[in-house]
Amino acid sequence: MTSKKTIKSAFESMLFVWGEPLDVKVAAEIFNMNWKDAYDYFKELQAEYEQEGRGIQIREIDKSFQFCTNIENAEYIERLCTPVKEKRLSQSALEVLAIIAYKQPVTKGEIEAIRGIKCDRVIEGLTKKELIGEVGRSSGIGRPILYGTTPVFLKNFGFKDLKELPDIDDISSVVDMEEEVPDGLDLQQISIDFIQG
Amino acid sequence: MSYKIKLDIFEGPFDLLVYLIENAKMSIYDIQVSKITSQYIAYIEKMQALDVSVATEFMVLASALIEIKSKMLLPRIKPEGDEVIEEDPRMELVQRLLEYKRFKSAAELLELQEERNQQIFVKPKEDLAPYTREADEYLNLDLNQFVKVFHLFLGKKKKMEEIKKNYAKVERQKITIESRIEYIKNLFRFKDKKRLNFRELLNPESNRYEVVLTFVSMLEMIRQKSADVRQNVNFGEITISLNDKNSTKQEISEERGIVS
Repeated sequence: MTSKKTIKSAFESMLFVWGEPLDVKVAAEIFNMNWKDAYDYFKELQAEYEQEGRGIQIREIDKSFQFCTNIENAEYIERLCTPVKEKRLSQSALEVLAIIAYKQPVTKGEIEAIRGIKCDRVIEGLTKKELIGEVGRSSGIGRPILYGTTPVFLKNFGFKDLKELPDIDDISSVVDMEEEVPDGLDLQQISIDFIQG
Repeated sequence: MSYKIKLDIFEGPFDLLVYLIENAKMSIYDIQVSKITSQYIAYIEKMQALDVSVATEFMVLASALIEIKSKMLLPRIKPEGDEVIEEDPRMELVQRLLEYKRFKSAAELLELQEERNQQIFVKPKEDLAPYTREADEYLNLDLNQFVKVFHLFLGKKKKMEEIKKNYAKVERQKITIESRIEYIKNLFRFKDKKRLNFRELLNPESNRYEVVLTFVSMLEMIRQKSADVRQNVNFGEITISLNDKNSTKQEISEERGIVS
């Protein structure tokens, strides 16, 4: 049995060589160990880098791990080599993406109902960017296409999984919102209400 | 062609409505429908005045607002005086607005996350070929050796070219139609017959190419009217007789025919 220290060290080297996110499954197979153990080792390794505040950090994306730079050094990297920045998404693209991310799987009709405006073009654009994809068909009338986010979405936004999406209120509770006072922006609205009254 | 200008302020009718409500410092739960409706319609009119085509979705919401406004005017107590307060006609709109706002703020959060993530850099995957077994072989030569080998290669190439100069291309001579016609005519003279069967034009060892060639030559002779060909039944024997009147046509074969 290979020692834990050796395996962790090996994982570290593997991450270095691989560059891209390394699937925990692949790493586990190499040592013929179970997935959970391999995952825990990666997590430990990640914690070590984080505690020491190294310039290189390990990030988790969709059950894979990858070396990345420490966000605090962004400025220095930019001074060094002006990296090409990907074009940011437009407001409408972000809105559609948000709806898909939080409500997936979701049909175009549902997205349009929330936004009150057509979004064919936006969906097309997001699909082209591989941020979203078709994940199936709804059983409803006309069997409309269901959309969901892709691993590219997780990668580009730096989420380890969909559970990591920033917390907005439980979306399904919108219907009985009268009792619930939503936080954030909506809370502000309430306070304005008081000022008015 | 008209110009398309995208105003990135309002992404849709809800976006506009939310803006108007917030701008008027109104509670989303207590929208002053009359005020907001007139503001909303004023905005659409302004867009039209500026010749910005207004999406139908904006109109749909405008009509919905007007509908709500008219419902608000109706008494909400049933005529019998039962004091039954019906559902607030604004309810549905409020719910939709809230849901929209929720995703709007989610979009803002995503934007922040995207911005943050752009400050983290990763290495693109490199070419792993050198680490795999199928790696390309890397030459371990110094420059002198390399130059030597290259000279050797050049010398070899030169030699080959010299040898190749002496090569001659040999191609199988294909018989032409013209020479075959000549041959057929000679055959008539040689056998001293008026008529010949098609079979008699061929050798017993004629291959398919020769059969076809002879047949095509025969057709050519018909076209030139230098031969008269008959076949009494389908798949029957073909008999050919020379048409001596057209001996002038012979010049064609004399011009080009002497190949074989």
